[in-house]
Amino acid sequence: MTGNLWKYLKHHGQPFIGLLLILILGTILSPRATDGSIVFLSLGNLTDVLLQQTEIGIIALAMTFVIIGAGIDLSVGSVLALSAAVSALMLMVWNPHGPAVLQIGLAIGASVLAGALIGGLNGLVITRIRLQPFVMTLATMIGVRGFTKWLTGNVNVDLGFGDVPSGQFAELFSSKSFAITIWIVFAVIAHLILSRTVYGRYLRAIGENERAAAYTGLPVRGVRLATYIGCGALAAFAGLIHAARSHQGNPNDGVGYELDAIAAVVIGGTALAGGRGSIIGTVTGTLVLGLLTNVLRLHMVDSNLELMIKAVIIIVAVWLQRRSSGAHGEL
Amino acid sequence: MLECRNIHKHYGGVVALKGVSWKLLPGEVHALCGENGAGKSTLARILCGITARDEGAILLEGRPVVWSGPVAARQAGLGIILQELDLFAHLSIAENLAIGNARLEASAWVSPTALNDAARPLLHDVGLELDPASPLGSLSVSQWQLVAIARVLGLDAKIIFMDEPTSALTDDAVERLFGLIRRLKARGVAIAYVSHKMNEIFRICDRISVMRDGEMINTATCAETSIDQVIQQMVGRAVTTTRGEKILATGRALLEARQVSTRKLRDVSFTLARGEILGVAGLVGSGRSEVGRALFGLSPVTDGKITLETSDYAPRSPHDAVARGVALVPEDRQREGLIPGMSIRQNATLASLSKYSRASWIDRGQEAAASREALANCRTKFADQELPVRSLSGGNQQKVLIGKWLLTHPKVCFFDDPTRGIDIGAKDDIYRLVAELAGKGLGVIWVSSELPELLANAHRILVLYEGRCLGILDALSATQEDIMRLATGHRNSLS
Repeated sequence: MTGNLWKYLKHHGQPFIGLLLILILGTILSPRATDGSIVFLSLGNLTDVLLQQTEIGIIALAMTFVIIGAGIDLSVGSVLALSAAVSALMLMVWNPHGPAVLQIGLAIGASVLAGALIGGLNGLVITRIRLQPFVMTLATMIGVRGFTKWLTGNVNVDLGFGDVPSGQFAELFSSKSFAITIWIVFAVIAHLILSRTVYGRYLRAIGENERAAAYTGLPVRGVRLATYIGCGALAAFAGLIHAARSHQGNPNDGVGYELDAIAAVVIGGTALAGGRGSIIGTVTGTLVLGLLTNVLRLHMVDSNLELMIKAVIIIVAVWLQRRSSGAHGEL
Repeated sequence: MLECRNIHKHYGGVVALKGVSWKLLPGEVHALCGENGAGKSTLARILCGITARDEGAILLEGRPVVWSGPVAARQAGLGIILQELDLFAHLSIAENLAIGNARLEASAWVSPTALNDAARPLLHDVGLELDPASPLGSLSVSQWQLVAIARVLGLDAKIIFMDEPTSALTDDAVERLFGLIRRLKARGVAIAYVSHKMNEIFRICDRISVMRDGEMINTATCAETSIDQVIQQMVGRAVTTTRGEKILATGRALLEARQVSTRKLRDVSFTLARGEILGVAGLVGSGRSEVGRALFGLSPVTDGKITLETSDYAPRSPHDAVARGVALVPEDRQREGLIPGMSIRQNATLASLSKYSRASWIDRGQEAAASREALANCRTKFADQELPVRSLSGGNQQKVLIGKWLLTHPKVCFFDDPTRGIDIGAKDDIYRLVAELAGKGLGVIWVSSELPELLANAHRILVLYEGRCLGILDALSATQEDIMRLATGHRNSLS
């Protein structure tokens, strides 16, 4: 068993090394609290990082599937904003005259459904009309953004406070324990789907060699479509957490989230060419990005410099993976 | 005029040419013929500087030359028309004609009018009355081929290599090409004509050189030799496989194709019985792979009807085909068969995964056991089935792919040149395996480039030529020469 673990780390260990480096760096560089404890390692600080990364983290899980299938989804940031806006509108504007649970449930359902529909649209056009994923999701990224602005009249829809349904919703979805638990649960499910189900196996086969997968009689279109639907739905779920945490449905939020998610996936060792990747890597990649931001912010580093450092991290991480995969000649 | 001595060429471990010497005289049309893989195209490419030789000398007008690349050969007066058309669909006809033409590319500033003016006489020569400014992409394959020929004319080459120039041409275009060849010959241009179409060769060529397995077998003038003699020289290698006792196919037809046409097939009809091995022979481009593509839902059937067991069979995708019990072992293992980064086990079970899963959840124990059994049945040699499939040799990779289909329990299995590029031992294993499958009542269709292989293993052999079935021969009585005659388009000469 330890042999297996060692083998796993040897082949997939690259992102963990990055994570470890950043943890060590953060610990050394961390400012001290008045009682002498290390601020960076305090439970409060670390869970803050987790909470900050839940939205990108959940989107990155879905993005991992899309990228392993040799696709890309640029529309997730816009879908996040759409979902936040739809949930806020359903909680604030619409009044079903029922119990709060019903209203919250319907708001969640409608938002996730909206995301899944956008994903389904992406998937259908990509598999049937055979538009390139980059082009199609670029189009929906723009289109959904416009639709969300139109839906809200380009104003923020603020959530309420206290006992009203929107207040209860915001309190639940923005709580550290709930958001982090959801992320972990999703990550575990995603890992199992990818590694233990027929769908996961098919997805990797299609991503690595679509032609051979088709010649084996695999349902290539169906697998692709399901992946984009799942990606839309998960991005919408991230949008719910976003709405709760920002306490509003802002049609202009989520810009650039798709790129952060792709960065996390890539740092985690998933190949943009498809076929190869893991959920564990993606979670690690998300944490690397979050902790890096945290370390720099604890030092009040200029946020522009932060972006430049992130850029270097992405390049170095991918370069290291290429070197290691070249050296082993596999995986 | 052009001569080569003792040319050797290896591709990895595969020997393409072993010590070929050959001479092209001024003003002659010299045919280079041989089966697929005999080394004709390789020789042409080496002589024109496209491929580097390992050993040997090339002499141009008596002086040894070393080509640094195709440009050097072109400047020395050698032109080549390649089998794969090296043209650019998005450029205009005139622009395509100008590429590689030193005279037209002399100045950095190219005037479209000048290009078009230069293109017109060349197009006229090959009988294309088209606007030189129109994009190449709008032309038919036959017209592409003529543009490729026109381009070489524009080089004012003294020596022209034509690699299967008529493979994409319509009949009247072939006539025009022959007229052109005669005019070039009258001008003293030497032409090397690579082909395996016997009737064309004997119509247009002065001398014929036959190649086989990378060696030059014989050179003779057309008068000295005959079609039969050339065919015999082409296939003349020793048959090493022994013709075993074969279970004769019995029972009613498992699969029946009636007048099936696709983009590349015309009115092909055949039946396949349970337990029968139907060989398919034909040259590259004859449509032999297309039979499998049609059966596997990869190439739409435009006309005709296929019946599988007792019901109509019209697959729209491989998914449909697999559901009806049809399997296809593709010609291109790497691109169409394997998922190279996945493990041996994962490749072996990819087509039958749903059998070892419940509600999409894979039972790993069951999967591993099934895969082990299938791999053992196919006599696959491997250290650990969790290793990536690309770590295996070609022969073992092929066995994994066969094992993949055995796990689906197919009724009909189409093998597209399954022994290509694999070692002798693995070949024998595959022969035995296919015979076993047929013995269990499977219908096997087997495409092969190696005629001895088909003669020794198949019950009947269907011969294709340009998408048509020219005959179905009984493997027990047919000879390689019979097959080759049909495969080169000689329906009538079969007595």
